[in-house]
Amino acid sequence: MKLGSALLAAHLWLVLAFLYVPIVVMAVFGFNASPLYALPFQFDLVWYRELAGNTKLIDAGIHSVGIAIVNTIIATALGTMAALAFARYQFRGKTVLQLLLFPPVAVPWLVIGTAMLVFFYWIDIKRGLFAILLGHVALSLPYVIVVVGARLATFPRAVEEAAATLGATPWQTFRRVTAPLLAPGVIGGALFAFAVSFDQFVISYFLAPPGVTTLPVEIYGAIRKGFTPEINAISTIIILVSMGALLLTARFYRFGGER
Amino acid sequence: MSTVAVTDAVKKYDAVAALDGVTMTFRDGEFFGLLGPSGSGKTTLLRAIAGFVTLDRGQVLIDGQDVGGVPVHARNIGMVFQNYALFPHMSVAENVAFGLEVRGRPREDVAQSVKDALAMVRLGGLEQRKPKQLSGGQQQRVALARALVTRPKVLLLDEPLGALDKHLRQEMQVELRRIQRQVGITTIFVTHDQEEALTLSDRIAIFDSGRIIQEGAPMAVYERPVTRFAAGFLGEANFLPGRVTAMETGGLARVALDIGGEALCGLSSGQVGQTVLLALRPEKITLAADGRAGVNAVRGKVLDVVFSGNSTTYRIAVGEQVMVLFRQNLAQGTVAPGTDVVLSWSPDHLVQVTP
Amino acid sequence: MAVADRRNRGAILALTGPAYLWLTATIFLPLSAMLYCSFLAKSPLVPAPASFTLKHYAAFIDRPVNQQLMLWSLELGAVVTICCLVIGYPAALALAKVIKGRWREAMFLMVVLPFWSNALVRTFSWTMVLRRDGLADQAIHFIAPWAPEFDLLYSYPAVVIGLVHSYLPYMILTCYISLQAIDDSVIEAARSLGARSGALFRRVVFPMSLPGVLAGSALIFVPAVGSFMEPRILGGIKAPTLGMTIEDQFTVTANWPLGAALSFLMLGAVLLICLALYPAARKRMEGL
Repeated sequence: MKLGSALLAAHLWLVLAFLYVPIVVMAVFGFNASPLYALPFQFDLVWYRELAGNTKLIDAGIHSVGIAIVNTIIATALGTMAALAFARYQFRGKTVLQLLLFPPVAVPWLVIGTAMLVFFYWIDIKRGLFAILLGHVALSLPYVIVVVGARLATFPRAVEEAAATLGATPWQTFRRVTAPLLAPGVIGGALFAFAVSFDQFVISYFLAPPGVTTLPVEIYGAIRKGFTPEINAISTIIILVSMGALLLTARFYRFGGER
Repeated sequence: MSTVAVTDAVKKYDAVAALDGVTMTFRDGEFFGLLGPSGSGKTTLLRAIAGFVTLDRGQVLIDGQDVGGVPVHARNIGMVFQNYALFPHMSVAENVAFGLEVRGRPREDVAQSVKDALAMVRLGGLEQRKPKQLSGGQQQRVALARALVTRPKVLLLDEPLGALDKHLRQEMQVELRRIQRQVGITTIFVTHDQEEALTLSDRIAIFDSGRIIQEGAPMAVYERPVTRFAAGFLGEANFLPGRVTAMETGGLARVALDIGGEALCGLSSGQVGQTVLLALRPEKITLAADGRAGVNAVRGKVLDVVFSGNSTTYRIAVGEQVMVLFRQNLAQGTVAPGTDVVLSWSPDHLVQVTP
Repeated sequence: MAVADRRNRGAILALTGPAYLWLTATIFLPLSAMLYCSFLAKSPLVPAPASFTLKHYAAFIDRPVNQQLMLWSLELGAVVTICCLVIGYPAALALAKVIKGRWREAMFLMVVLPFWSNALVRTFSWTMVLRRDGLADQAIHFIAPWAPEFDLLYSYPAVVIGLVHSYLPYMILTCYISLQAIDDSVIEAARSLGARSGALFRRVVFPMSLPGVLAGSALIFVPAVGSFMEPRILGGIKAPTLGMTIEDQFTVTANWPLGAALSFLMLGAVLLICLALYPAARKRMEGL
């Protein structure tokens, strides 16, 4: 079995290389002086300087971050409430509701994005940042519910009862016992929602009017026009931001504050 | 401290009655055990006293006051949960201080009370640890200190020793008794372990299907069970069915046993011809390799012998029935299987039970 | 867990209401609206009274090019799914059974991390590798300078590679969860009964991990069939997909009803495939 295990482990490392090498290469070329991606490699920050002057990209970046933050607040609030309901109560239709969380994840975003485009047009919501926000929250909700829900599943219910027997009113129990224990899960869900929104391309693509876009949509447009290392630079920044948010999520999701 | 009373408590879940008309008074300062199999209603009663369960009918009275509408946090009770339910994000000291802090006690008082409580349960020095760093026994002591530090009116324990291994459990039983006597608080605890109920309680109540079958001091309930269920649940018993053949003076009756032979015993109620069921505890039977059958003595053959250190258990075929007998190992050696023996007992040890 | 009664119903409604209202307004209603739109004769952008027709659906039957696109897209989905399975399952197996302790958590995280980050950026990063003078080209010529130029960009294989890269972590994730749930003692029992590695895998491990395999496959197949961004960036005109055609209806030609009809036809095809495989899958997973 040793040989088999060694082969499997080697395969895993190869898969990891497959997953990361392109990203690393892309990042590296963002620091290469040549505008044509020519080797040998010459370290230069010229493309990042170009970025700083690219107002279109910077505006798109601000939109992306802004939407992501608002999306995080809304999706985390709504998602946590729903997760609480699922964890605390057993009711008819609960399974149906839980199944309904699948479409945003499983149905191709192409279909969802275009459907939103059609529907919003009919109810007179113009394409724009508000429409994009609507879409992002819808996509973030299932993930928040799952992350917070997982945290709630390991939540020891008896401690709330213990707090009541010790004389804590429901509000005191929530403030001093429930909330601190829930916090890691909620923060994990919030970071996840941020990453989902910040990275979201398809929905933003269809709901963005000309001139007002998010970062991924801008990048897509730039790619269609031709490859420049400036794209590498902004892509590197994006991926660092979202991976950072997701790493933090992992910390809060798995390890929690105290357990 | 306080008295607790429950009158005519009824609680149904769908069609099943978890409590089916339970009335009980818990005296001030006593250590009361609620005993019974799973689902018998004992935990439901405990949680009704705590306030987590609202009764469909009946009342819970603490110090004579009906607490029906009073929420849990206002009842001034102390409760220790089966898995201790310590706050995982707080230290030991913070856990114990919790009840005092939510009541708004001044900080210096809180600190001192926490120190005293932890000293009482012999856990001084562990204040800064987190629950997950403690052993099961230590967690249990913290839960106890936390519940008692607020000086509640009554202490409720839900299977408090269930999660501990045998030695630890016995050690904690002694501790629990010591602390309860020291504080003098009315304590009600739930257990399915009959040995634990017997060792800890001043009085016990046996539950079955939502009702109290029997209650009283442990020895009384053990020696004089009222029903077959009570006799079988608390320890072991041999059940001897028979028919009354004659009533004698002094409340004694002659009973023809189905296994053969005759018993002479006191009957609470007796009529000639009546069928009765007699319970006989295994430790009350004398085993003799020779002897004569007669009244309160029957012949049998040894089937099985199990040596358990301080005692030996014999299974003896008597007529159609198998009887069980415990014997303290005073002498060397045991009686071999296959030996013909005579079992005898005193009339005082026969108890009539309702089937 | 409390069973819902009258008192709780209000709380449940208050807690779940907002989220599901939002989902209704942004997912379920739009999907219905799109279904409605697919039956419209003229695009809603054109001011004209609504009239209904099946001609957009008929276009699928009439025009072979659409059917061809559908088949290519389904084929693409299948190829990507199978590649992910072949590559991802052994990786999941390694994670679940070979790697232990802290390494396992760390590597699991590393596998999943790229998946949740920007798909567009990751697709773009593949252009850096696959294009002429890209990493692959440079590496090959470094080792074998006489080799011909390596330019895989704008080709079907490039699209497959890009999509596999995008969705591989899904498969690893679901298979890992399933494999990890297999109790080690079951494997030990099989060994004690004489099973060697081949039989052990074939008859015990793989069947027990089937739920993960199927879940991963479903989660990959559906989006892959509908993909348009990766085909555009990595395939150009060499790898047309139905997704790209649908995208065009909404961005270029403004023929929304046709786009809607094609979307639902695509969803329908995918659903049919899933439904067809469901009974067989169900049977295999009995008892798990």
